[in-house]
Amino acid sequence: MTGTLRELWLFFRRDLSIARTYRTAFLFEAIEALFGVALFYYVARFVDSPQLRQTLPQRESYFAFSLIGFIFLDYLNAAIDSFDRSLMEARDSGTLEHLLVTQTSLPVILAGSAIYPFAASTLRIGVYIAWAAVLFGFPLGGANWLAVASVLLATLLAFSGLGILSASYLLLFKRGNPAKWFFLGLSSLAGGMLFPVSILPDWLQLVARLNPVTYALDAMRAALVGGAGFHAVWQPLLVLLLFAAVLLPLSMIVFGRALRRTKTNGTLMHR
Amino acid sequence: MNRIRFGTRVVPISCAFCSSSRLSSGRRHAISSQVPDAAISVEALQKSFPPARSGWRTLLQPFEKPTVFALGGITFEVAPCEAVALLGANGAGKSTLLRILATLILPTNGRARIAGYDAVRDPRAVRRHLGYHAGSDAGFYARLTCRENLRFFAGLNQISGAAAAQRITQLAEQFHLGESLDRQVRTLSSGTLQRLSLARALLHQPRVLLLDEPTRSLDAIGAAEFRRFLKTEILRRGETTLLFASHALSEIELLADRIAVIDAGRLLACGSLAELKQVTGAASLEDAFLRLTGRSHSVAAEGAPE
Repeated sequence: MTGTLRELWLFFRRDLSIARTYRTAFLFEAIEALFGVALFYYVARFVDSPQLRQTLPQRESYFAFSLIGFIFLDYLNAAIDSFDRSLMEARDSGTLEHLLVTQTSLPVILAGSAIYPFAASTLRIGVYIAWAAVLFGFPLGGANWLAVASVLLATLLAFSGLGILSASYLLLFKRGNPAKWFFLGLSSLAGGMLFPVSILPDWLQLVARLNPVTYALDAMRAALVGGAGFHAVWQPLLVLLLFAAVLLPLSMIVFGRALRRTKTNGTLMHR
Repeated sequence: MNRIRFGTRVVPISCAFCSSSRLSSGRRHAISSQVPDAAISVEALQKSFPPARSGWRTLLQPFEKPTVFALGGITFEVAPCEAVALLGANGAGKSTLLRILATLILPTNGRARIAGYDAVRDPRAVRRHLGYHAGSDAGFYARLTCRENLRFFAGLNQISGAAAAQRITQLAEQFHLGESLDRQVRTLSSGTLQRLSLARALLHQPRVLLLDEPTRSLDAIGAAEFRRFLKTEILRRGETTLLFASHALSEIELLADRIAVIDAGRLLACGSLAELKQVTGAASLEDAFLRLTGRSHSVAAEGAPE
């Protein structure tokens, strides 16, 4: 286990060292986050009303509702996208086959490549929330940070499986992943990100109820804005963890088979 | 009957291949037994792309690309600390063979072993004993320094921090990388990159080194320096078994104890330069290669090595 942790740390340190060579990137991302937060603030000022707040799960402002939905989508995208983006970069830079001839196992290579993108996404969320709280009065006073962290972690675990499936698709078909874009598109529409699912037609509400993103977002809003503790978010957490328990092992099996197929076909390094 | 040394044994070789016509499979060398302590052992190795289908999947065959046979049942062994060159035209199967040994491609049939470990059944053990270097500039993190790259790959090969630092310093000295060690890889010349790549392949002190056209991306001077470097720093030390693919005949003559001539996925001959010349009646390696591959009447053929 110590050896595995050390290997995971190596991947994190590698990506951190690379990121440090782009010295101004963090500054520009922080500025981009500021513009993003300002955009949501002014859109919310334009549309917010007491009637609208009555339809929102925590009766919060539309600014808080929509911003949490937006940054959660960003996090979801990181969870799903990190694996195949890391894999594509490794393939295109020629490092993939050199990674595969080391003594480190494939699951560790895969997990290690996603750690930094996850950490960077978490940091980006922090920057968004910090701008929102400092400049635009985002209500952070009652947040239950432990519950927030638990929901984020469960979200990562739950959707990493989709990310690994996405990487498997990339291995086999080399470009794009319609399933990933379909899922992200569906979650944007029927996940309760920018509007409550209650305004959707019945059949889309059914889709939303089957979509774990809906549960994750509810839990996130409850913990961050409503200050809900574990007793209030345990159900969505359980759904996310069940999703992870099924999808993670399944995705590793699929990835192993996809890799075997590319090794059989000799297409590992093909673009 | 001529004899060519194969592994640590002497095996018979049909002198019929002295003729200019291409060898039929029935006239290839018959090598059956294994050398117990062979560093590399390849037995009846076959590879086809994409794999031939069986059962109901044959129904899909008409809709798939035609199967290409890259290796057609190759058998040979390399003794510890021996240097063997794979010589063949483009598409002969050299890289496929090396990539199977490096566990990057799965064979269709047959066996490939490194240090006694099967490349399919025990790939992790195989990787513990091999270093792999594909002769391109790619394969490093361009914005990291040489030291950071080497430290990363050392860690993935289970070399801990202090030992890795010591090994990197040792290799940097040996491979003349000292001044480049703290420079970003993107600033390095092709020659330095090749040496860095070789240093990476040797980080974990593998018993077997696989090189796929190691001087492919170097100019004439860089290639000559790299060959000299391989000769003095790797081969003369007598600790590493070397199997390398190359089109450069001068490189093969300088480095190889034995030369395996491959054509269309078949092993046509394997022996020392002198033996190949003797059995083909050729005056040079180029001539021997052309005779073995049946191209001696069309020397200008596009597949002939340089």
